[in-house]
Amino acid sequence: MLFRIDPASDEPLYAQLVAQVRTAIAHGDLRTGERLPSARDLATSLEINLHTVLHAYQELRDGGLIELRRGRGAVVTGHAAPDLDELHTAVGALATTARRLRVSPETVTALVKEALR
Amino acid sequence: MTTPRPTPPHRLATTVTTLVVPLLVIAAAVAVAVGWAPRLPDPLAVHWSGSGAPDGFGSLKDAIAIPLLFAPVFALGMWALAFWGGRDTSTRRMAAGFSTGLAVLMSIVVLGSLSVQLDLADAAQAPGIGHVVGWAFGGGILAGVLAGLVVPRTPAAPTEAPVDPAAPRTTLRPDERAAWSRSVTSPVGAWVGGSAVLVNVVLAIVVQAPGLLVLAAGLGLLLASMLVLRVSVDARGLVARSPLGWPSVRVPLDEVVAARTTRIDPFGDFGGWGYRIGSGGRVGFVLRKGEGIEVERTGGRISVVTVDDAATGAALLNTLADRTRGAATAR
Repeated sequence: MLFRIDPASDEPLYAQLVAQVRTAIAHGDLRTGERLPSARDLATSLEINLHTVLHAYQELRDGGLIELRRGRGAVVTGHAAPDLDELHTAVGALATTARRLRVSPETVTALVKEALR
Repeated sequence: MTTPRPTPPHRLATTVTTLVVPLLVIAAAVAVAVGWAPRLPDPLAVHWSGSGAPDGFGSLKDAIAIPLLFAPVFALGMWALAFWGGRDTSTRRMAAGFSTGLAVLMSIVVLGSLSVQLDLADAAQAPGIGHVVGWAFGGGILAGVLAGLVVPRTPAAPTEAPVDPAAPRTTLRPDERAAWSRSVTSPVGAWVGGSAVLVNVVLAIVVQAPGLLVLAAGLGLLLASMLVLRVSVDARGLVARSPLGWPSVRVPLDEVVAARTTRIDPFGDFGGWGYRIGSGGRVGFVLRKGEGIEVERTGGRISVVTVDDAATGAALLNTLADRTRGAATAR
């Protein structure tokens, strides 16, 4: 994919990279299983600090968009962030209901496991 | 194709490494074989069966004619390719390597198979030549690699001329930095190569020939060098390389005349997959059928790489190349 860095922009460099990968995945330009360049390669290519790229990759991993594997670089997992957001909302609602009904956490997890089986 | 392409560089070196050396090797082999004639049985063993015993007999002429005629003809073909089409260093390296390597291989096979028959009364007593074949391949590969290494590189040819205005571009703001990167794999290579390695390993175990494991390892290494590529376009130009780093395609920005997308048919245009020399003197990585980047370079060279989203890569290469041409291009 095409990475662009504008040092003149107000947006931090790592955030520019995160936004581009996010957009590329959303548009289907990056497909599941596609490998991103290693952080070192990308840092050299864009003439920016290695830690800037690592910061961006970690942010993407935390968002569930890529998987970082030791020695194998970054692989697109394709789970777009909105899916997880929905799940977070649902889990939040579950916790609230459980507290209101005074059901123990153990019982709730057992019920969730049962439902996921 | 409006301007005539410049002639390939280092034609003298090409002639020496690709034609003169192989011919001298073959001439020396013929001289030695003829010198041995009085000490050889008549008829000679000229062919060996799989079990190691000789099963074909003939005269000295029969023993040396085919292999020693084939090598010079092959050398002539390789020389013609490198002399007229060898603008890229790797074309001349491959031509010199294959030509010299084959001449040495053939010479060792012929002289080795004759040497085991020296002073024999009857050629039927000749021992097997399995070890000769081993030495021939080892010697041939070594000679080929050495010949390839002494071939001089094509000199760097930076240009100040503007990139073809008709070639695709990307819009970049003046301060903006951009890089494009993509990985390519070869599905055909993975299946064919992977099965070949597997067959070799199984065969090595079944017939208990550890030599085949060496072959499997070599094949595996070859696959590793050509199955997965990382193609990138940035301030260093176009770089396509395997995880091993060799072979690689590198086009510095100051050698770009124009980059375009192209459709590549591995068999039709390049006769196969891998790091290839194809029709029109195009050189590069052909991993699969379909789209790729084709870069017209200074010195009449053309580099190709099969890769997805080639349009983006080609456009960025042209745009970044524009920036190296200073005031000549306004942007």
